[in-house]
Amino acid sequence: MTRFPTRVRRVRLARLAWTVLLCCGSIASAQDMPLTQVLLPGESWQLVGSGYRFTEGPAVDSAGNVFFTDIPNDRIHRIDAVTGTVTVFAEKTARTNGLMFGSDGLLYGCRNGDKQVVAYAADGSHTVIASDISCNDLVVGSDLRLFVTDPGGGKVWTIDAKRHKRVVAEGISPNGVILWPGEGTLVVTERNHPHLWTYRVEPDGSLSHRERYYLPLRLLPGRDRPGSDGMTVDTNGRLYVTSHAGVQMFDPTGRMGGVIAKPHGGSLANVVFGGPKRNVMYVTAGDRVYRRKTRVQGVAYFLKPQARRR
Amino acid sequence: MINLVNLVNLVNLVNLVNLVNLVNLVNLVNIVNIVTRTTLFALILLAASPAFAQDNYKLGPDSMLQQGVPLGVVTQHKWTSKKVFPGTVRDYWIYVPRQYDGKSPAAVMVFQDGGTYVNTKRSFRIPTVFDNLIHKGEMPVTIGIFLNPGSIPATRPGGKPRRNRSFEYDTLSGQYARFLLEEILPEVGKRYKLSDDPALRAICGISSGGICAWTVAWERPDQFSKVLSHVGSFTNIRGGHVYPAVIRKTEPKPIRIFLQDGTNDLDNLHGSWPLSNRQMAAALKFSKYDHKFVMGTGGHNGRHGGAIMPESLKWLWRGWNEKTTAGEKKSR
Repeated sequence: MTRFPTRVRRVRLARLAWTVLLCCGSIASAQDMPLTQVLLPGESWQLVGSGYRFTEGPAVDSAGNVFFTDIPNDRIHRIDAVTGTVTVFAEKTARTNGLMFGSDGLLYGCRNGDKQVVAYAADGSHTVIASDISCNDLVVGSDLRLFVTDPGGGKVWTIDAKRHKRVVAEGISPNGVILWPGEGTLVVTERNHPHLWTYRVEPDGSLSHRERYYLPLRLLPGRDRPGSDGMTVDTNGRLYVTSHAGVQMFDPTGRMGGVIAKPHGGSLANVVFGGPKRNVMYVTAGDRVYRRKTRVQGVAYFLKPQARRR
Repeated sequence: MINLVNLVNLVNLVNLVNLVNLVNLVNLVNIVNIVTRTTLFALILLAASPAFAQDNYKLGPDSMLQQGVPLGVVTQHKWTSKKVFPGTVRDYWIYVPRQYDGKSPAAVMVFQDGGTYVNTKRSFRIPTVFDNLIHKGEMPVTIGIFLNPGSIPATRPGGKPRRNRSFEYDTLSGQYARFLLEEILPEVGKRYKLSDDPALRAICGISSGGICAWTVAWERPDQFSKVLSHVGSFTNIRGGHVYPAVIRKTEPKPIRIFLQDGTNDLDNLHGSWPLSNRQMAAALKFSKYDHKFVMGTGGHNGRHGGAIMPESLKWLWRGWNEKTTAGEKKSR
């Protein structure tokens, strides 16, 4: 086809945009994000590794390698981004649960056996970030501020870059935790409730304006609890949450877009996008880890400074 | 289809809820300028789609300014919710007809996506239609309240606002009704006398705003008894597809509803809008509701709804005078 000169094209595009807006403005309010925007035809789950006892905490590093924890065996494993080979990254990890990389290259983890939040270095050694804290999952912001869930204590904690910890939400039983792209909103799961909570993150790390924004979650027939657990987000603002029904995908306005089938009948605990392009969805599923290629790209908060420079 | 999907993503980048908001339009144009040729194709494709050809509805005289008809006054306001949708901010507008005397309470009609309905240059032109119909006595002296959906602005640098439209409109609960009854009506009521007779309280919306209007009346028929829905989203956005089934198995509520849809309306992951609206109409008929269903040939927009707005309002408000008189007699 003929290429229009740029200026003409711009004018035409602008005029068309106006036409679309004026004639069918409400289409915008009903835009949709079906699963077909996420899943690739012909691609399904591939087994990455099995024989673990309970896998959790998938975390991606800047090269796209994925780290996960086998909680009862006190081990953290590393999946190579390119070859898919699984190796042991750290041992005697004291039931480390949720994991995420920070912009400092360290792997932050909920070392719940020691009631500590720690940071693992490349050699598998760790330093203590916070003590006397029961923790399940965490998210690390680009400024190295952490949000940590304590389901038993019914608390969400924040730990700032100076390692001061304080409670920023109470009265719920929080489990998974994630930040939106842009990090202005925090999302928290409760396994027994068919909604996810959203909070506004204030500049000082406090949380405000709680809302059941993601609702309703799909329940399996005959069950009244969704079993919502770990979450991740993609660059278009979609949110993915693991649950009994599968990986439930929501659009940025809180509307469910679809449920990705579970790789097997067992439990599904957590999800992250890995691989060199961060377009491979990894899930920790009971004694196994699976992955599948997608059409979307995960968000890594530690890459935010680079993204800004572009 | 991929191109269309791109377009949908593109449109999603801006908050098109505030369609009258020029800043958003400028944003969109900027974004459009940087996208690739494929999106140009998508726009042409969309513009040429059958829905457009079937949307050739014309506005009638009741949607135009008429000589000798007194003009009401529209004022613009901002609202920050502290109670029901805490942290949300939104624009809203109030229309006050010239006939409002400040002594007798006025009827009330609430509009979701208020910016769309209060605009007198697009399809709905409510201030103009109200001017004309109130002048002719075909609807009561009515104060219009036009509410945009809320948004929770981010306070962290780089954060995106939390757009609350779908949560407020699509959720099946009494929360939006509470927002109107506990925040908005008391606020507007500080300046104007508003009727508390449910027969003189109507609510209207397009798309998700349409199901929202129904939900408000369904939850609080003691407060709102008249509903006007344009291309209403009675689909599974947040479970609203269950209404036809629920209506059939619930003791009927005193609600009068006008439903408009078009055969070229959406069919997507949330459901089929034409089928869902037909299901609603069938359930309302089964349960003997005072209802009217108009199925046009348009798509997911306000052209058909705008063209029939005067007729819809006349139907919705029919008998308002007798009702008020009867109410007054009863109260005496």
